[in-house]
Amino acid sequence: MIRYVARRLLTAVLVLLITLFVTFMLMRGIGGTPFYPAEGYSIPLYLQRELTAYYHLDQPWPVQFAVYLWHIVRFDFGPTLSYRDQTVTAVIHGGVPVSLELAGLATALALLLGLPLGLASTLRRGGPLDVAATTVSTILLATPVFLFAELGRDDFVAKWNLGELGWSGPRSAWLPVITLALAPAGYVARLVRAGAVDTLSEDYVRFAHAKGLRRGRILVVHVLPNSLTPFLSAAVPTLALLVTSAFFVERVYQVPGAADAFITAAERRDYPLVLGLTAVLAAIVVLASLAADVLAAALDVRLREDRR
Amino acid sequence: MRPLLARFLRSGAGRVGIGVLVLVGLFVGLVPALSSADPDAIDFTLRNQGPSGAHPLGTDYFGRDLLVRLALGGRLSLEISLLALGIVLVVGFCYGAVAGMLPRRLDDAAMRLVDAALAIPRFPTMVIILVIAGLRTNVGTLVLALAVGGWMIPARLVRLELVTLRQRHFVTAARAVGVGPVRLVVRHFLPNALGALLIAAFLELPALVLMEAFASALGLGINPPTPTWGNIAYDGLDYRDTWEVFIASAAIAVFAIAANFAADGLQEALEPRRDAVVPRRFLRRLVARVSR
Repeated sequence: MIRYVARRLLTAVLVLLITLFVTFMLMRGIGGTPFYPAEGYSIPLYLQRELTAYYHLDQPWPVQFAVYLWHIVRFDFGPTLSYRDQTVTAVIHGGVPVSLELAGLATALALLLGLPLGLASTLRRGGPLDVAATTVSTILLATPVFLFAELGRDDFVAKWNLGELGWSGPRSAWLPVITLALAPAGYVARLVRAGAVDTLSEDYVRFAHAKGLRRGRILVVHVLPNSLTPFLSAAVPTLALLVTSAFFVERVYQVPGAADAFITAAERRDYPLVLGLTAVLAAIVVLASLAADVLAAALDVRLREDRR
Repeated sequence: MRPLLARFLRSGAGRVGIGVLVLVGLFVGLVPALSSADPDAIDFTLRNQGPSGAHPLGTDYFGRDLLVRLALGGRLSLEISLLALGIVLVVGFCYGAVAGMLPRRLDDAAMRLVDAALAIPRFPTMVIILVIAGLRTNVGTLVLALAVGGWMIPARLVRLELVTLRQRHFVTAARAVGVGPVRLVVRHFLPNALGALLIAAFLELPALVLMEAFASALGLGINPPTPTWGNIAYDGLDYRDTWEVFIASAAIAVFAIAANFAADGLQEALEPRRDAVVPRRFLRRLVARVSR
């Protein structure tokens, strides 16, 4: 187990390094230098040289990357280009907790909605309840999130005044949370259904039936725990689904979160901010996948053997 | 191939899926030719009209006919996605084939790289690439940005197929008569991997369509006024026209579900032992893809 965790940790660090390296190289690939004499004014040559040296831009790129990494490790991403007198770190401090809160609430709601929806399907496969639940989860998953966001903003907020934009208390929070939770809820329902159906066809479930156990008990005691492993492996796709949707949810509902900051930074070509937010996002995703894998391995011995 | 097609058409999911896909294709192909409306003609006297005889899907903020824009937008969205799919499949195939032919150590390393690439969230990566592409986003950059995150799964599939087949006698026989690695891959491995690749293609396509729409709806897509499904959604979000967002979303959702049904039908046709008992897992796979 320790060896497994160690190996997994190594992969995680590697992934993080590759991500940072690729983003770094991409940003370098844009070309240009920040201290080039612009139109209308020019920086004295000695100052140019001094600034270039200060930012290590006169060094070869491996040194630059090392410096960049060293700064990231100390959580120093430098100043932003688009917010005056703000550091990237400050923007991250402002946005990430909001996004995490939003995503956390949405995940909880997605489980709350998705679990019953999925279990409803398994009670009677092919029955009307199953068909209805499957249809609902399919629609939840295939509909682009911006439609729900648009409906929420224009009907619930603007027309019916049932909520408000921004992020200040429950009245502004409930719509973004629900919007963000819908697609993952469909996903969870799908997972539960597929997982439970797989488990239901196992021999030990048939044996439980043969013993005369009630269906509810079989479902809760025998089927549910054994459907959990695919759940854990779904943690990362779910997280990515949340991230993708969060771009729209935060933008449309004007939630001051990290995803919105990311898009704003992207629009304004604020490269240091994009880099910083990418680093944080990559770290979160990598940590989540690490946690999910380790937890899955703790639950299921077989997973430790094959390396994923 | 004949029996495969027959089996495919026998499965309900496959029939429905391919039927709807054909309908979408007809809509996208024929409507712009048959309609007299100009997709870019601005007429503010016709702003935000509901469906009518002259404009079956109504008009947008600029008074442009939404039916024609939806069809043309779909055409471009599908073209972009298909181009990206082509790249994804070719790159994935080559990578997987090369990895599968390499000695074990290198093969391992190559697959580790795939694991690492899979761990990176796909959509933010795409956003970053589009940001770097700057304001000059065109079909080429969009296709490239879409393709970057997609080649790993086909690569894995192809490599897996190779590694499984490598032990079989017909491969040993082919090697014994002096068949080189390239011919071995093209003549002996490719036909065997084709089924898995085809399913992967049908799963990847809607994911690509969705991601194009997401990127464009954030304003990172092709420059206006050119319509794509995502751009139509962007306009709708921008001008707070719920109907416009709805028709774009509906088109995307219908396409995505149909493509997944088709993939399902293919799966049933290719692996008959798995039908009926196992439920449709297509959306699980779809999400796994979109979200990466």
